[in-house]
Amino acid sequence: MQALFRCILSLYPSAYRDEFGEEMMTVLMEVQAEVRKKGPLAQAVSYASEAGGLLRGALLEHVRTIFFPRGIPVFSERRLTMRSEFRFPKATVALMTIILAAVMMTIEKAKAISQSVPHANPPVGPIQPAHITIVPTFLLAFVAVCVGGALLWGVLFALHRSGMQRLSDLNSSAGPHSRSGMPG
Amino acid sequence: MTPSPMSEPVFLILLSLAGHPRHGYAILRDTQEMSCGRVHLSTGTLYGALRRLLQDGWIERFREEDNSRGKQAYQLSPLGRRNLQQEVNRMKHLTQVANLRAVRKET
Repeated sequence: MQALFRCILSLYPSAYRDEFGEEMMTVLMEVQAEVRKKGPLAQAVSYASEAGGLLRGALLEHVRTIFFPRGIPVFSERRLTMRSEFRFPKATVALMTIILAAVMMTIEKAKAISQSVPHANPPVGPIQPAHITIVPTFLLAFVAVCVGGALLWGVLFALHRSGMQRLSDLNSSAGPHSRSGMPG
Repeated sequence: MTPSPMSEPVFLILLSLAGHPRHGYAILRDTQEMSCGRVHLSTGTLYGALRRLLQDGWIERFREEDNSRGKQAYQLSPLGRRNLQQEVNRMKHLTQVANLRAVRKET
């Protein structure tokens, strides 16, 4: 049975095994020594319970190592405690207060101006479209894209042609010079 | 701030270490005795809880002159004692409320 427990203990993460392995083995042996006095049935139940507990513990430790390397607090208290690195600096609070005061002052000033000249700008109602223009707009956009694409292609084609022509002219004009410059 | 309630095994382990430092096996026996045999922790469960409590600083390793037999005793840290006290107060309050309501129901 000791071999079985050692085998299951080897399933734990190595850091955990190094820290608690021997200690757990000592406790397991003490538990088994006590249960042995109670008869074979109690012994079998205890073996099953301990083996199950070890397997479950090994699984949980691996899950913890992979997903929660910093640990899961026993209470949820820590999640609610604001840590120093998440505190607002005092300067931010002061700056936010100043910005809020400036916005409030601007709103008040704008209200005062609008009340001093109530009819300077007559209200403009919502603009209603005269008719549905979405389909012609799409068609127009499509045609515009096609025309734009064709124009761009034409420009590029013309540039390509002129470039090729210039290159051929350059070659034909540079040919005799190069030939004459070269030693026979 | 009121912390959420702790699990029964954790509560019993802390309670077991409240009096004096204990080894793993002594904690197992004590938790079983305190719960009148209802809570029976396996070694794997006990050490999983001890590891978490050590990591959170609720318990500490008790320094002994002779721990050569592969035994390590644990003791409550001040933080663990404070949290245990909070939990006891929470349970006490809950028991008082339960008593009051149960009595009112009977009368």
